[in-house]
Amino acid sequence: MGMLSHTDNHQNQETSGTEPFDAHSTAGGVSGRWSTRRIAMYALFVALTIVLSYVSIPIFPAAPFLKYDPSGIVVLIAGFAFGPMAAAIVGVLGFLPHIFGNPFGALIAIIVALALGLPASLIYKRIHSRKGAVIGILVGAVTGLVAALLCNLVITPIYAHMGFHQVLGMIIPVLLPFNLLKFTIHGIITFLIYKPISNLVKD
Amino acid sequence: MKAADGREPLAVLDRVSFSYDQGRTWALDEVSLTIRRGQQTCIIGANGSGKSTLARLLSGSLAPDRGRIELMGRVVFDSARPPGQRVDTEAYRQAREHIGMVFQSPEDQIVTTVTEDDVAFGPENRGMSRPCMQAAVSQALRYVNLAGRRRSDPTRMSGGQQQRVAIAGALAMHPDMMVMDEPGAMLDSAGRRKIATIMADMAAHGKAVVNITHLLDEARAADRVIVLDRGRIVTVGSPEESLSRLQEELHGDMFDADMPVSHGDAPRSGTPDTWTDASDSGRTGSPGGEEAAVTAKNLSFSFDKKHRNVVDHLDLSLEEGKTLAVLGPNGSGKSTLARLICALVSPKEGDLSVAGITLAGEGAATSRRVAKERLRMLRHRVGYVMQKPEHQLFAETVAQDVAYGPRNLGFDKEDVTRRVNRALSMLGLGDLSDRSPFDLSGGQQRLVAIAGVLASSPRILVLDEVTASLDARAAQTIVTMLEGLHQQGVTVILITHDEEEVCRLADQAILMDRGHLVSRGGVDEVLRDYRGLQTQGAPMESEETTVPADSALSATGGENQVGRPSLVERLDPRAKMVCFLMLMVTSFCIGTGPQLILGALTTVAIILAARISPLKLLKSVSGLLALMAVVALLNLLVTREGTILARWGPLIVTDQGLRTALVYSCRFGLVLLLGALLLMTTTPTRMTDAFESLLSPLSRLGIHTSEISLVLSLALRFIPTLVGEMQAIREAQAARGGSVESGNLSSRTRAMVSIVVPVFAAALRHADNLGQALDARAYRGGQGRTHYRESHLQGIDYGFMGLVVIYFVLLVVLIVI
Repeated sequence: MGMLSHTDNHQNQETSGTEPFDAHSTAGGVSGRWSTRRIAMYALFVALTIVLSYVSIPIFPAAPFLKYDPSGIVVLIAGFAFGPMAAAIVGVLGFLPHIFGNPFGALIAIIVALALGLPASLIYKRIHSRKGAVIGILVGAVTGLVAALLCNLVITPIYAHMGFHQVLGMIIPVLLPFNLLKFTIHGIITFLIYKPISNLVKD
Repeated sequence: MKAADGREPLAVLDRVSFSYDQGRTWALDEVSLTIRRGQQTCIIGANGSGKSTLARLLSGSLAPDRGRIELMGRVVFDSARPPGQRVDTEAYRQAREHIGMVFQSPEDQIVTTVTEDDVAFGPENRGMSRPCMQAAVSQALRYVNLAGRRRSDPTRMSGGQQQRVAIAGALAMHPDMMVMDEPGAMLDSAGRRKIATIMADMAAHGKAVVNITHLLDEARAADRVIVLDRGRIVTVGSPEESLSRLQEELHGDMFDADMPVSHGDAPRSGTPDTWTDASDSGRTGSPGGEEAAVTAKNLSFSFDKKHRNVVDHLDLSLEEGKTLAVLGPNGSGKSTLARLICALVSPKEGDLSVAGITLAGEGAATSRRVAKERLRMLRHRVGYVMQKPEHQLFAETVAQDVAYGPRNLGFDKEDVTRRVNRALSMLGLGDLSDRSPFDLSGGQQRLVAIAGVLASSPRILVLDEVTASLDARAAQTIVTMLEGLHQQGVTVILITHDEEEVCRLADQAILMDRGHLVSRGGVDEVLRDYRGLQTQGAPMESEETTVPADSALSATGGENQVGRPSLVERLDPRAKMVCFLMLMVTSFCIGTGPQLILGALTTVAIILAARISPLKLLKSVSGLLALMAVVALLNLLVTREGTILARWGPLIVTDQGLRTALVYSCRFGLVLLLGALLLMTTTPTRMTDAFESLLSPLSRLGIHTSEISLVLSLALRFIPTLVGEMQAIREAQAARGGSVESGNLSSRTRAMVSIVVPVFAAALRHADNLGQALDARAYRGGQGRTHYRESHLQGIDYGFMGLVVIYFVLLVVLIVI
């Protein structure tokens, strides 16, 4: 790879896993390693996910103990700006600190974050346009929703002495509308901000 | 290269040019200079002069487009060589081993939450042996006079101390040349003085020191001053020669590289239409100016009960139309006073009324509705320009961003447009209205953000360090604008460190120190007291930053500092984390009374061994107790077996339900306590070290385990930073009338976007700085890294693991019985 050819160095940075190609680089190309810029970006996105995961806004009066937190937006944005790998890293590491607060809750959060962020970023990587973003967000929201419901179905009996049908009877009227609302807010905000933020990433 | 004086040249630049846009414009244009051992060189220039680019060329982190560079005696770049060989990456790598780099933002260079670990980061990346590393860390910390703080958390230190930690981090790698890019730009004068002393000392010890700055007074201490303007060196000489030439040219047109505003559109000091707005119908004060704009009596504020008052029993009275300068060292409570006046935080005690609106004390709103209405009125009348207001920009165009405030305040569309245009033209930004705010230069961004506050035409304008780290020309635009507002009767409260600004703008001044008002009155006398306070030296710099970390997050971290570490603290973090996690998971299998008693006894034993106060422990899980209650209630209501004890309509409570509720909520409680206990007895650094160690087997599968661990560790370290940023942005947008909590769906969404976009921008900005800092500390992936801290499993760890196994066996035995 010629170090000095003056091609646009931002082109292939966005979604592919390759390192940013910089004409002014003084580093030898150590292949397979992450650049310091990439490590720093992941770190700040993970930090942002952790910070936002502690935010809790009541959005669903029917079940006030279910709170909205905007951390899923960061997973989606990370996936759009840096690709599926970033969505996975942010999704896992962003909720890992919760493991000592609420181990199974953290596990659900990680599974749901991956179900939301991975399909969305994979689709946006293929269809790199506004349309792709919308499809990505919609598909991600559906898989995220399904994952959230399935996980709760499995995990609720650990917290409460309930049978399968009892859990099902509770999940449909409470968790379905809550999660629907949650993923709608995620989707709208992500759609509004992904473009300005992708532009910032390129600078 | 022949040396002019006998000292060895460490960096030689020969007709070096650099372009960020493939040669359309040149950030550096044919720059030649030589840096020698033992010499302190100051490179001075305005924003956009190319000085930071020059710093990165000197430190070997960027290669130029043209010219020849020699670093540490080896040619690293030569455009005369054939393409593909012009950059000698191996020579660059070797040269960088001898170059230390310190950047402008103190906190973005800190990689972890223990000072000595942070200083050891560079030596670790170099693969230094542990004894060498320990000596290097101790020596570097002594050098910057922080030997006594080696176990402190640098993320909680003042900016000046953080910058000294950063210098120590560079020194521990034994550089021959130190390149410092605006090391004092974010510090107060006491902090800057300490850095200046260290720089002089380093030069005296034979290092080459390059200090890049836009502050003229920093240049005086240098051996040699190089003045850079628009990518070219305009002056080289002794400080006296360079500075006197600079003073001459300053009155000319030199420092305007940052301000490509055409001269035809120069800022106007006055506006055609009167500033006072008829639309502000709620205004009560008489226009004469004898009305008080701000009255505070006995005003106090603290972040929580444990912390000292940040503003302490302060009395203040400011007439309408006056300009008040607020002076004081960092951490003296100036910014908090500003936030109190703007009703962004509520006082702990005392009376406060602003712009005729009583915010606290006698006559304060008693109902929520009245308070909300008053707050709305206050947002109309009081404008708040936070520190670095350019960080609040979010919209797609400058005009939309400036319109955010007036739109929130409910002005109609035409009025909003008129206000936007007026605010932009006041600051000479008329032709930028359709540009993206993120494409502008730093100086322009600041002016746009200020326009966004002016567009709501406040009667009182509060500005926090509004000209800090701006070059002379942009600062001048702001000063002219403030003079114009003053003529029109706007009350201005100006927090600043700049004495010249105070003299030009203020009618009166106050001086704050550690929350107290220590002096007030005429500008001259307060400035005299201010200087007096500064020469006292040491106590100027507050030792710790005053903002406590978010409580939910600070639970992740504190080590029991007092006395000998407890048994639980002495456990190897790997053994501890795995065992605790297993204890927590198995707690969910507890189903009978005896099992629950066993689990509870085990937990109590661990609490005792950890010597943690049970109250403190309970407090740390208090946020999660609600979850426990939900678990209990849920179990109570879903259990239908057993004898019915009570019944409300379809809801029944049975004896079995009670039993289940008790077991399920208590076992969940045990999980919460164990988790909290682990977090309270393990620092984040130890935890991420353990995480890396536990993850390392996965590296055989090609997973970057060392990098992933570094990502997590850096993420934890940046949490307080981002919490602070988010709070500042939320407040700045709230002061412009934005609210996520109320309003219709579209305005709530807009409010959310106006916070989220700047928060992401902040994350990216920190990431860029951090990436550079990691490079400067020679981070090159996990391979070849050594570790400052060593961990071996010891007897106590095996003992603990054994006990945990016995506990599991007993749990199973109890099921069988």
